Amino acid sequence: MNLEETEMISRCQRGDQEALKEIFDKYHKKVYRIAYGVVRQREEALDIVQEVFVKLFRSIKNFKGKSHFYTYLYRMVMNTAIDHARKTGKQIISSLDEEGSFEPVADVEKGPERILLQKELEERVKLAMDKLPAEQRAALIFRDVEGLSYQEMAEAMGCSIGTVMSRLHYGRKRIQELLKDYVVPPGKSGQSLPKL
Amino acid sequence: MKNTCSSISNFLEKYFDQEATNKERLLVERHLQECQACQDALRSMEELRALIKNPVEEAIQKEDFPWVWQKIEREIRLQKKQTWWQALRSWLDVSPLFEKKVWIPAVATAVVLLFITAQIFFKKIPSYSETSVVEYIESETNNVMVYDIEKSKLTVIWIFEEPEEDSATS
Repeated sequence: MNLEETEMISRCQRGDQEALKEIFDKYHKKVYRIAYGVVRQREEALDIVQEVFVKLFRSIKNFKGKSHFYTYLYRMVMNTAIDHARKTGKQIISSLDEEGSFEPVADVEKGPERILLQKELEERVKLAMDKLPAEQRAALIFRDVEGLSYQEMAEAMGCSIGTVMSRLHYGRKRIQELLKDYVVPPGKSGQSLPKL
Repeated sequence: MKNTCSSISNFLEKYFDQEATNKERLLVERHLQECQACQDALRSMEELRALIKNPVEEAIQKEDFPWVWQKIEREIRLQKKQTWWQALRSWLDVSPLFEKKVWIPAVATAVVLLFITAQIFFKKIPSYSETSVVEYIESETNNVMVYDIEKSKLTVIWIFEEPEEDSATS
C-alpha cells in the first residue's frame, strides 16, 4: 500500500467523506466488476456497489492495515454480492422454469437468433455460477474476471494458496459440466461452437 | 502418454493461470506440443474464462455509473441522521418492556410479592380459647405464670408450688 493510499484511508477512518470519494473513484469499477461477475445483472450490481461503499465508510475503522486494502475491499464486495445472489437466486431459477427450457439455436448467423443465443448463454452462465458453492464462485470471479494472483486471492478469501487452487479446480470442473453444451469438452479436438 | 498427461494436469491449471514456475512451464509447453487432449483441456479453460469474463467486461464498458456516488452520499447522510434520532428513540423507547421475556417474569415476580405481602397484612392472630400466655417468671422460691385474658380482661397469676421431695433435696 503506497503512502498516498495510506493517507487516504486514514482520512476516511476519521470520517472524511472526501477521502471516501477518492476511494470510490479509484475502486468503483473493480467493485462493479466483481459484483456483476456474481449477480450478472446491472441494477443489482449497481445496488451492491452503493451498499459496499456505505458499509466501507462505517467499517473502515476496523481496517488495521495488516493486509492490502484492496483485498479487504474485495472480500467485502464478494460477501455482499453473494448475499444478494442468495436472496434473488431462487427467483431467477423459478422464472426460467416458468418460461420453459431453452433450446440452443442451430444457425447463429442470423441477427435476432444470435442475440437470443447470446442472451440464453448469459443466463446459463449465471445459473451455472449460482449453483456453485460461494467459495468456488468467488475463486472463479477473483481469478477469471478480476485477474488476481493466487497470493492475492488467498489474502482476499482468508485461506491458503492450496485452498485457492482447489476451489478454482473444482469450480472450473463443475462449471464445465454445467455448461457442457457451450464449452468444447476436452478430447473433442477440432470441434467448437460458433463464436459469439 | 497417459502417465505424462496425469502428471502434467497438475500443472496445467497453474500454467493457464500464469502461476507455474519456470520449470513447470517448460514441462507443460513441451508436453502440449505432443498432446492433443491437453491442448483441448487448455482451450476448454480459455473458453470457460471467456464465458465468465466477457459479459462482465462488456457491461463495465457500457456503464457510466449514473448517480451512484450521489446515492452513496445520501445514504451516509441518512444513516448519520438516523443514528442521532435512533439513539434518542432507543433512550425513550419503552417497547422492550413489552417483550415476553421481560413482562412475564415481571408479572410473575409481582404476583409472588403480592402473595407474600398479603399474607403479612391479612394474617389473623390465632386465638387460644380466650387465654394468652403472657409471661412465665422463675424465681428462687416459686415459679409464676401470668395470663392476661383479653376478652374478659382478666389477669390470672398462677403460682407453682415446689413438690416436697424437691424442697428436701434443695
